[in-house]
Amino acid sequence: MKLLLAPALAVIALFAMALGCLFQYSVLEFIPGSLKTGGFTLANFRSVTAPQYLGVIWDTVWLAAATTLLTLVAAYPVAYALARTGSSRVRSTLLVLTLAPFFTGAIVRTYAWILVLGNAVITWPIPMLFTERGVLVGLVHFSMPTMILMLAAGISHIDPLYERAAASLGAKPARVFWRVTLPLSLPGIVSGSLIVFAWTLSAYPTPALLGGGKVQMIATVVKDRGLDSFNWPGAAAFALLALAMTIALLAGVARAGARAA
Amino acid sequence: MANAVVELKGCTRHYGGVRAVEAMDLVIFEGEFLSLLGPSGCGKTTTLNLIAGFVEPTAGRILIDGEDVTGLPAHLRGLGVVFQSYALFPHLSVFENVAFALRERRIPAEEIARRVGEALALVQLDRQGRQRPAELSGGMQQRVALARALVYRPRVLLLDEPLAALDKKLREEMRDELRAIQRSVGITTVFVTHDQAEALGLSDRIAVMSRGRIEQLGAPREIYERPASRFVADFIGASTVLRGRAVADDRVALSPDLTIRVRVGGILRVGEQVELAIRPERVRLAAAGEGTAEARIEGLVYQGAMTEVSARLADGQRVRVFVNEPAPMPLAPGQIIHLRLPADAFMVLE
Amino acid sequence: MLKASVVALMAFMTLPTVVVMVVSFNPTAILSFPPSGFSWRWYVNALTYPQFQRAAVNSLWVTLGAVALALPIGTAAALALERGRLRLPTLWATLLLSPLVVPGVAAGLGFLILAASLGMIRSRAVLIAAHVALVLPFVVRSVWVSARNLDATLERAAASLGATPWRTFRRVTLPLLRPGLFAALLFAVVVSVNEFVVSLFISNRLTEILPVAMYSYVVNYTDPTIAAMSTLFITATFLVIWLADRYVGLGRVFLHHR
Repeated sequence: MKLLLAPALAVIALFAMALGCLFQYSVLEFIPGSLKTGGFTLANFRSVTAPQYLGVIWDTVWLAAATTLLTLVAAYPVAYALARTGSSRVRSTLLVLTLAPFFTGAIVRTYAWILVLGNAVITWPIPMLFTERGVLVGLVHFSMPTMILMLAAGISHIDPLYERAAASLGAKPARVFWRVTLPLSLPGIVSGSLIVFAWTLSAYPTPALLGGGKVQMIATVVKDRGLDSFNWPGAAAFALLALAMTIALLAGVARAGARAA
Repeated sequence: MANAVVELKGCTRHYGGVRAVEAMDLVIFEGEFLSLLGPSGCGKTTTLNLIAGFVEPTAGRILIDGEDVTGLPAHLRGLGVVFQSYALFPHLSVFENVAFALRERRIPAEEIARRVGEALALVQLDRQGRQRPAELSGGMQQRVALARALVYRPRVLLLDEPLAALDKKLREEMRDELRAIQRSVGITTVFVTHDQAEALGLSDRIAVMSRGRIEQLGAPREIYERPASRFVADFIGASTVLRGRAVADDRVALSPDLTIRVRVGGILRVGEQVELAIRPERVRLAAAGEGTAEARIEGLVYQGAMTEVSARLADGQRVRVFVNEPAPMPLAPGQIIHLRLPADAFMVLE
Repeated sequence: MLKASVVALMAFMTLPTVVVMVVSFNPTAILSFPPSGFSWRWYVNALTYPQFQRAAVNSLWVTLGAVALALPIGTAAALALERGRLRLPTLWATLLLSPLVVPGVAAGLGFLILAASLGMIRSRAVLIAAHVALVLPFVVRSVWVSARNLDATLERAAASLGATPWRTFRRVTLPLLRPGLFAALLFAVVVSVNEFVVSLFISNRLTEILPVAMYSYVVNYTDPTIAAMSTLFITATFLVIWLADRYVGLGRVFLHHR
């Protein structure tokens, strides 16, 4: 039986090797103008703390947080409708509309926002494209399907009888929502938010295309350094930073979840 | 003397620290209907799984037709199994379910069609061949499971509580059908159940099991009328247990003023404490007089065909009596009644 | 009020799609709204652009290769997790799902460095291998869910009827895993076809897949060819999703039914 697991583990091992290369290069010295590297150094990590890069990290974190919050608020009504609707046609429609953007790919969706935000369709009172605002809109739009699905899954696990019980005890619909539905949907909220936040930290195409170089996030720095400047060690350090932040996030919430259980 | 089809020699099966089956010796004869009867956890299903080859014994051997099959995997043993949940393949039609084993044996298509037809006719489902299991009722599914297990004429038929999921009426119908089919086909059958009425009604022999061991093995009447241990007496049928001291080889004193006559084949030793069991249906209501014991009614449970009476004897011991309805006299709690306890109805418990 | 907000939000979600589709028929490169006419020229341009054609073929091979590898590997792993009586199933499961957690840029850079150190820089094999790794968690998840709903007694029944373990797998297990396998196939194809970030790092103009080619185009040109390409993408996706929902019922895959 263990044999069945072996090929999959081989694939994971390959993946791990790729990450291993990241670790290896992050502590090697970058020699500008070539792909060769020097000896052991922590300079790459120190460069992460340079003021301009700290700024990027901060921007990334706050953008991710803003995205998560906005996405949560926007996704909840849709998720609730999806989970609670009795009509299978409504459910199908909502599902299809939710999933379709998911499956059309990052470039298509981001390009769509280039058009909308870029004064081609409507003229905006304030510039949207190539600004943080624009990137935020794009990120929220990108994260909606994921959040909707995770929230809907969580909400669909809540027995409607709880809401009925609350109503029978005299609670008005708004109160039922605040005191029963919302708290019970917390696992879905947490898992959805976590995934959206973690993903947004490392988002690339949206800030790259909608930010036009003016909005930098951790991922764009990795790409710039790695692919454009060939500074693999420097890029590796940043990539590891993104990885570490994601893992810390997951670990923190897993621990919070375990303590709550 | 019929030959032995299945033999378990010293079979033990442990699961972690739990001993599901302990040093079991069992011989199953050709054509017989043997029930493994016991409460949940007694090891009866594990025994079945050992015979079927789904689990391997921690120790001991299993023989089928004299051949050691202990290491042989399930798919090579050629036995028929009917599972409690029927385990019909949901993605195959009834016909395909029954044909499954025949297809594995590369039997040609026409013969498969003929034999499946026969098997389905045997269980009276010849018109349901094209349907899916999900479209059938529980009773029908059970019959398909039976047909599937019998169609390739296995050596032994193993049934794991097959009637448990059916409602009472259906269960009784299926019980009779099962017995009829088994007799007509003549196949050696091992039947696992926790329902003693089923075991008593269906079996040639019953193995009463408790905690991984066989407490008693014998014909139904023997098990019922002469239980070998307190466990068997308690598990099979209802019984009253009375404690007393033997004062002669045919008299037991339950208390200084209450002595009863017993006929238990002279195994009593004078002066010894003894436990006697008697079936409630053997206790009779009588008029006051010689040879009766006085008792006060404590509880009455009306059951339609009879009333279960719970009464207390003068010495405080409780007696259960089954009184056939209509009762010979009106009964009410608190009433004094007189009971005749037939001497030969008593069983001495270990 | 719920209904109103849901409608508004769904409009927000589909607005960009609508805009893209409208723009794709714009007759001129300069965008105006409402569009001044109707034209297929950008579609022609998209379909005849050599780089797109090359990238489409690449996408086909990479996705085909990745899916052909990931499906059996992932199915075997899912069965091992469910039936294999492993000592630490959650550990193995977490391990198998771990690529989902790693940021695309990290994985991309890592694979690039790995490929370079193996002297296989920008080879198609590395691209396919990376796709297999990225697609595997989806396959394992989907098949595992199906495997969990599979009654183990059915496999015992098949054994008692004489089927060898392999025959049991083929005749009983596999057919009953079909919903999970279908979902796995769907996820695998969609994830691979749309994979961008990692592929950006490890491919060049010869080996790049469609999303990367489109990215390069968007960065350099502003005409609506991409809008046409996107519309084609969107139409194909909608079709696939709609078919999947009709055939398998996507609600069952994502939601818990009472």
